Formats: sequence, C-alpha cells, structure tokens
Amino acid sequence: MKSNNIQQNALKKANFKTKIDLLVKFIFAFLALICACVVIFIVIFILVKGIQPFIIPDGSGATQNISDFFLNPNWLYDGTGGMSYMMLATIYVTLLSLIISVPTSIFCGLFIVKVCPKSIKEILKTGVQILASIPSVIFGLFGMGVLKPIVKGFANAVGMQTFGGSSVLTGVLVLAFMTIPTITLVSITSMEAVDINLSKASLALGASNQQTNYKIVLKASQSGIFAGTILGIGRALGEATALQMVIGNGGVGWDFLNVFNIYRTLTTTMLAGIGEATGIKYDIRFSLGIVLIIVIVVTNILLNLLKNYMTRIDKGEPKDKNKIGIIKNIKIYLEAYVHAKKN
Amino acid sequence: MNNENNKDEVVFDVKNVNLFYDNGAKQALKDINMKIYKNKVTAFIGPSGCGKSTLLRCFDRMNELVDNSYRDGIITYNGEDIKDINSIYLRTRVGMVFQQPNPFPMSIKDNIFYGPRCQGVKDKKILNEILDESLKGAALYDEVKDILNKSALGLSGGQQQRLCIARTLAMSPDVILMDEPTSALDPIATLKIEELINELKKKYTIIIVTHNMQQAARISDYTAFFMLGELVEFNKTEEFFSHPQDKRSEDYITGRFG
Ligand SMILES: Nc1ncnc2c1ncn2[C@@H]1O[C@H](COP(=O)(O)OP(=O)(O)OP(=O)(O)O)[C@@H](O)[C@H]1O
Ligand SMILES: [Mg+2]
Repeated sequence: MKSNNIQQNALKKANFKTKIDLLVKFIFAFLALICACVVIFIVIFILVKGIQPFIIPDGSGATQNISDFFLNPNWLYDGTGGMSYMMLATIYVTLLSLIISVPTSIFCGLFIVKVCPKSIKEILKTGVQILASIPSVIFGLFGMGVLKPIVKGFANAVGMQTFGGSSVLTGVLVLAFMTIPTITLVSITSMEAVDINLSKASLALGASNQQTNYKIVLKASQSGIFAGTILGIGRALGEATALQMVIGNGGVGWDFLNVFNIYRTLTTTMLAGIGEATGIKYDIRFSLGIVLIIVIVVTNILLNLLKNYMTRIDKGEPKDKNKIGIIKNIKIYLEAYVHAKKN
Repeated sequence: MNNENNKDEVVFDVKNVNLFYDNGAKQALKDINMKIYKNKVTAFIGPSGCGKSTLLRCFDRMNELVDNSYRDGIITYNGEDIKDINSIYLRTRVGMVFQQPNPFPMSIKDNIFYGPRCQGVKDKKILNEILDESLKGAALYDEVKDILNKSALGLSGGQQQRLCIARTLAMSPDVILMDEPTSALDPIATLKIEELINELKKKYTIIIVTHNMQQAARISDYTAFFMLGELVEFNKTEEFFSHPQDKRSEDYITGRFG
C-alpha cells in the first residue's frame, strides 16, 4: 500500500518536474531571443544609418560618393582619410600592438605560473586582474602623460618628427598596454590547466625547467594563449577612446606606415568630434561602423578557424597530415566533378 | 636483514634516510637502510601511505620538487652521493615511469624523441635508431610502427604506458623506477608489462612499486616491505615470501591486514 503511494507521488512529482524543466527552457529561449533581437536591431540600425549617406542627401544636399569613400585618400568632409586606408591602419595598429603584447603576455604568464615564488604569485595574479579591468580612458591618460613624452624623445633621438608625441607608435603602445593584461590572464588560466604530470614526466626525462616550460607547458597551452590573443585582438580592434587620445587623428593615405606619423583608425574617426558633427559628417560614422563590424566579424571567423586547427595540433596531430587530408579531399571533389562532366 | 654475503653489484646504497613533509610535521620515511642491486628487479610493497613512492622518488631526486619537504641521510649512486650529482644528469641515468600513463600530447615519434632532443640530439639518423630500439625494447614496435606520426593520446592505456616506458628507454638509462606501472591497466596489458620487465632487467636495474603481491613475487629478485615509513624487511624475493623474518611481513603476505 505504502509503496504504491510513493510511486503515485513520484509520478505526480515527475510530471511536475518535467513541466518545470519545460518552463525554464522556455524562459531561457525567450531571454536568448531578446539578446539576439537586440544584436540584430543594432546591426540593422547601423546598416540603415550607414547606407543613408550614399543615397539620401543630408540637410545641405551632400551625399557621399562611394568610390571616394573607399579609395580617395582626400576623402570626405574634412579632407583626410579614405576608408580603405583607415581600415588598413586599424589592422596595422592592432597587428603591431600584438607583436609587442603577445610575447610579453606569454612570458608574463609563464613567469607568474612557473617561475616566480609561490608567495608572490597570487599578488601578481591579482595585479594583472586589476590591470585587465582598468577602463580604457585611464590607459589613454597614461598614454598622454607618460608615453607621448617618451615617444617624442625617442623620435627625436632617432632623428624623426612626431606631432608632440602623438603618433601611430604611441597608439600601438597604448593598445599593447591594454591588451597585455587580457592576454596574460587567459594565458595564465590555460598554463595552470596543463597537467602537472606532463611537467613531471618531462623533468624525470632529464629536461631542465626551462625546456619543460617551453616544450611542454607552452605547447600544451597554446590554444588557450591563442584564445587570449583573440580576446586581445577584439579589444584592440574596437578600442576608440584611448587610441583617440594619443594617435593624433590626422594624416592621409599611406601615412600610417611610418609609425611616427599621426593617423586615424576607423574607431578614432568615428569618435573624433562626434559631438559637433551634423548631417553627413554625422551619418558617415555609421558607414565606418559597418566596415568595423565587418572587419571584426571576418577576423573572428578566421581566428576561430585557426584556433580549431591549432587545437587539433595541440592533441599531437601532425600538421602535414591535415594538409594531405585537404589535398586528398580536393582531389576527390575534382575527380567527382570530372566524372560528372563526362556523363 | 640485508644480505651481507651478497655478490651482486650495488647501484644505490641508502643509508639512514629520513624524510619529512610539511616542514617536518610529517615523517614519511624513518631511518631507511637498503641496497639496490644491478640488473635486478627490486619490488617495494606495503600498505598505502607507507612511503614507497616517496622513497622511489628519492632515487631520481624528484621528491625535491615537493614543497616543504626535506631528507637527511645519504643515498649513493655508484658510490657517489646523489646530492652531489647534477639532478638533470641524474635523471638521464635514472628514468621514471609513473602510475598513470602520461604521454605528452604529441605524436608517438615526438614522445620518444623528447628526451634525446632535450639533450641536444638532432641527427635524424641517430633519432630514428633510438626510436626503433626503444619501441622494440618496450614491445610496442609492431603495434605502432605504422602510426608513428599519430597522436600518442590515441593509444590505449596499456600502449600508452609502454610508450612511457619506451620514452624512458630512449634515454638509455641505467636504472628504471616504476611507480605502480600496471595499476591503471587491465590484466592482459599488465601481463605484457610484466613480461617486458623480465626482458628489461637484462639491461637495466629496475625498482618497481606495486600493490600486487603476486606481481612482486612473479617479477622481482628482491622485495622490500614497508610499513608506516619503516623498512620492515628487505630480502631476496623467494626468501621473503617463503620465510618472512618479521611477524608483520608474514601477516601482510598472508593477507591478515593491509
Ligand atoms: N606531497 C606530499 N606532501 C605531504 N605529505 C605527503 C606528500 N606525498 C606523500 N605524503 C605523505 O607521505 C606518506 C607516504 O606517502 P607515499 O605516497 O610515499 O605512500 P605510498 O606508500 O606510495 O602509498 P600508495 O601505496 O597509496 O601510493 C603518506 O602518509 C602521505 O600522506
Ligand atoms: Mg604511491
């Protein structure tokens, strides 16, 4: 009798639980939908606003010529820029900053995880965490107050000119400073996750500590370091405030290739003088926004593809094998294609 | 306890070794005295926590990596105090196989090459010779000869453990330390490793920690029985299992505790 009761109760409860599960699922789906809608709304809003300057004349009757937008170095309303140049400058500045920040972060991470005494490890980690959460405008101030004079002095020392310390190089340095904590933090996490038994095995084989760090710890955490780099790239590509404070917001065409020149990136152009801008000068910033979104999406897709590939390598799959696989596949497709053509 | 009139050559001589963990709060080894003989298999047995692994790790100085631990007494390797031997060099002479198979996340080939490469061996020809020899030495060659470039993580547990042995052999060490190398393996893989050990002792000195007394009896020449950090009895394996000298050994062998 009793057990019968329990069973009936259990059935009732189980039905109830299933309903709750369903409800929770529904709520989550709803929340996800809202998020998706917000993102879609933002993208559509920027698309519509960004396409407008090319078709609809603004208050003063001006429209933006498309080929000028893409290619003319003397572009637009104030005679500077050229979207393609700015886009390249954005990527250029990001890449240069990564050249500084990625190695630095890797060594910082390795030092914190494997080299420094345990007593100061936590202190250093907390320090990096704090650095990672400092708002960009502070890095901008740091750039203005500290880096600008240094860059100015350095430029003079090597016989170059800067615009009072404002330059592409200063921007690169600020971005490097901003991305180092992010990349270091993620690297630390992935280095700490490396199985301690691998390090022990390496040491037991007569490898030195340094050999173990480079050949085992770094190798096994490279996909994590890469994930950190992706975050860093995201931060660098999208950074506006700090960059705008030190990069000078001028220059035309290929000027950016000389790191002592002032220049402008997509983000700084959007931000600079937005308060006073009206008409097409205001709307064109949305067009630049479209370009920035495309750049970020494309880089992310490429980097993630690369990351998947690297994770495979991480597991010890040799590189050449994968290439052979791709070639084989292409061969199979070609053969199938030729076969289909024949019939 | 020690066989005084033993003609076997001594590789390790352990004298009055005490080992402490947690800054001395915990004593894991108490006044250990024993000898490890050349080209013999020495088995360490005893209940969990009695210090077998701790002593094993002393031989290649891996225990020095444990924070807040210290050891006194003397361990000599071929007559020289191991404290005076560069630990990196010592570990090339004294290899170690761990309880859990721990191949590197690399190809099978690179796993074998790892040790020699760390010593600066770059010559492809020499490396390939080492590869063949050590894989054959670990009785793994036939199973992996066609997949040398595949990830070592794709191997079965038993194959991984033999790869770890092969990786150790690639250094052509003098002594091989094994800490319960078969505890994570099924009976067939275990048997393979035991056969392997029988083969290996012709060339190497082997110290093996095991929880399996039949295993100790099957493969070892000497057996050391530990309890609570003490070396209770150390003797030739046959002697040890047929005529245990100590009451505690007898109880342990007959399964009255532990
Ligand atoms: N890293 C460490 N820090 C502190 N104490 C330790 C450490 N390693 C081992 N010990 C202690 O030292 C004693 C001996 O440990 P050890 O690992 O040598 O035992 P064992 O005989 O190998 O046991 P098992 O058969 O379970 O592997 C145990 O009491 C253990 O708690
Ligand atoms: Mg143990």
